[in-house]
Formats: sequence, structure tokens, C-alpha cells
Amino acid sequence: MYERYSRQMLFAPIGKNGQEKLRAKHVLMIGAGALGSSNGEILTRAGVGKLTIVDRDYVEASNLQRQQLYTEEDVLQKLPKAVAAERRLRAINSDVELCAVVGDATPEMLDELVKGVDLILDATDNFETRMALNDIAHKYQIPWIYGACVGSFGMSFTIIPGKTPCLNCLLKSLPVQGMTCDTVGIIAPTVQMVVAHQTAEALKILVEDWEALRHSFVSFDLWRNQYSSMKMSRAKDESCLSCGSERTYPYLSRENLMKSEVLCGRDTVQIRPSKEGEVDLNELAAHLSSIHYEVKGNPYLLSIEMEANRIVIFKDGRALIHGTKDLAQARSIYQRLLG
Amino acid sequence: MNKILFFAHLKDEVGEENIRIDVAGRTVAEVKELLAAEYNLQKLDSAMTAINEEFASNENVIEAGDEVAFIPPVSGG
Ligand SMILES: [Zn+2]
Repeated sequence: MYERYSRQMLFAPIGKNGQEKLRAKHVLMIGAGALGSSNGEILTRAGVGKLTIVDRDYVEASNLQRQQLYTEEDVLQKLPKAVAAERRLRAINSDVELCAVVGDATPEMLDELVKGVDLILDATDNFETRMALNDIAHKYQIPWIYGACVGSFGMSFTIIPGKTPCLNCLLKSLPVQGMTCDTVGIIAPTVQMVVAHQTAEALKILVEDWEALRHSFVSFDLWRNQYSSMKMSRAKDESCLSCGSERTYPYLSRENLMKSEVLCGRDTVQIRPSKEGEVDLNELAAHLSSIHYEVKGNPYLLSIEMEANRIVIFKDGRALIHGTKDLAQARSIYQRLLG
Repeated sequence: MNKILFFAHLKDEVGEENIRIDVAGRTVAEVKELLAAEYNLQKLDSAMTAINEEFASNENVIEAGDEVAFIPPVSGG
């Protein structure tokens, strides 16, 4: 039965022993977009024991250029990504136990799903979920691998609770209004390069070759031809609220979460960001117009027309997502525009 | 003299991959403020900073000859 893994077992640092370890491991992957598709495929082909996939979106035509698990048929059926991913991965390797969860990776859900998990793979598209994931990983002492990309720029960092600095040590707070794949685009090679870094580290962790881990924060720009490897030994912050000695896991508490509610009697969801802060409406409007979104506005708000929805964003970051009553979908649309 | 490197969209906004200026004795936060004003960089304050390829926080002081790189964190996936 190990025939299919013969080449991987021939690779000395893995071997038969490593393959058996891999088969006994459970990976939780948050997100099944571009990073999730490629990470999921590599780990499934590699023969991980169990893979749990969480995603809140359904497959759309604009995903097909880079989200390698999905097909035109998935788009026609508007299949949830977690479901479509599970189907495709099962066809690739029926040995792997697959578990698809359709929904938003809230702190409550993460708390349920991490039980018995050996590694968390970050394939999400926003910092709010990543910071919650970072807190959960430290609460339960589970390694996780940060990966993110936009345009031709990508980055990855392996976080081992108790050993390395954490994401909150690096960022200190939730960055406001980041660049996203929906606003500045993304090319497939960037995704693959991030995934190559994530899955190599994942394999090291899963076969327990701790010595081989990378330790540096890697970032690269495949179009501007830049590579950087940043040493992180000075980055650990003892006062960090996520990994320090007086930790509170701030991103698991309600007040630090994005608030969303369906407005009574309307096909509209209101979103309030977790971090108060002025959004530069002029900059956002100029940028969205330049990439062919239909944007109208005044000094107080912007109105953006999308395929099925209209989004109104106010100066304080609050937004109304018209054309849906689905909270997870509304949060997804918001984070795709504002990061 | 110091070499300052800009990654990703910062490189485009500055118009160069790197510049040379003397910022010895200043903190990372001060240099971010200075460069943000000079080149009209909106989100430099949230960028991560490396001094000689090692992570640096906003309070770290830059010394003569240090190479400083600014790397913007991204959230796409
Ligand atoms: Zn920390």
C-alpha cells in the first residue's frame, strides 16, 4: 500500500518511518481558496492521515485561474469550496480521511475543530482570522504555518508555540485596510511559491524533523525579482498578549471580532470592523475605479457595485452589504475588498 | 550612510528598489515617518522592518552602515 508513496519514502529525511508518522497526523486547513487548493492537494497526495478543510465561500469563475482543485462544473453548481475540495481530494487519494466544514472560521468554531490536530495550515484571506488562529494555536500549543500572497508578492513563516515568535509579536495589531487579491489581483505562481514554503515546512513538522525547520520569515516578489529571508530571533515579544507570559488571547474575545448582523426586513448585512479606524475613501475609490469597479460616493461613503451585491462603505469602516442575508458571505465580501 | 530597501508595492510607490540616506541614530519608527512623508507612503507604518536581515521593532535604533528593509504584510490567500 506504500507503493504510491515510494518516491517520497526514498527521500531520506522522510523514509518509511516518516511516511508512517505522516499517516498518523491530522492537519486542520483554514481556507480552501488558492492557498488551500494547493496546500490541500500536496498534503493529500503526500498521504497525511486526516485533513479537515474549513471554508465559507462557494466556487466562482474568477477562482479558476489559480484555485487548482476547482472546475467549471463546480462554478455552475455553485458548490461550497470545502465540498468541492473534498470531492476532488477524495478522487486523488482515497487513503486520506477528509472532513469538509462549510462555514466561517470563528474563534468558537476553531476551538471545536483543533481537538486532536497536529498542525494548522493558514490558507485564509484575512488578518482577523489569522490572529484568531494564532491565539488558538498558542492556547492549545499547536504549530501553524502563516502563508499569504497578493499580486506577485508572497510570504510565509512557521510558528511553533513556545519556540518562535508569533504573528501578534510581528504585527502588534491588526493591520488596517490591507491589499487583497480582489483589489490588486494575484498570479498563480505566487500562490505556488507560498505553498511550496508552507508544505515543505508542514512535511517537516508532520514527520517530526524539527531540526530542519526554517526559522526565518521568508518573503518574495516574483515579478519585481525580490527575495528576502528575515531572521526572527529578536522578534519574540515577552509582553505579547497572544504568546507572552501574561497572555489573554485577545483575538478570541468578542470585542476584537468583526460584528455582522442582518438588517431587519432587508436583504442587507451590516459589518462593523473589529478595529476602529478611518478608511481613506478617496484612495479606496480611486483604486477600485482604476480596476473597473463601478464606484460612486461622497465625502461620507462609497457605493460599490459588484455582480450580485452593492456595498456601501462608510468613513469609519462600517459597511452595508446589500443583496445578501448570509453573514459569512457578507464578511467574505467585506474582507475581500478591505483585507 | 544607510541602504533602505523597499519590497512589493512600496518599491513601486518609491520608484526605486533601494535608496541611500543617513539615518544612523534614529529609531525605526522615526525613519518610517520620515520616509512616509518624503515618498507619500500610506501604509509604511504597518510594514515589517528588517535591519541587516534581522527582524526589528519600531523602537530599534539604526546604526551607521545598517541595511534597512521594509516588508509590507499581506493578507491574500
Ligand atoms: Zn507573540
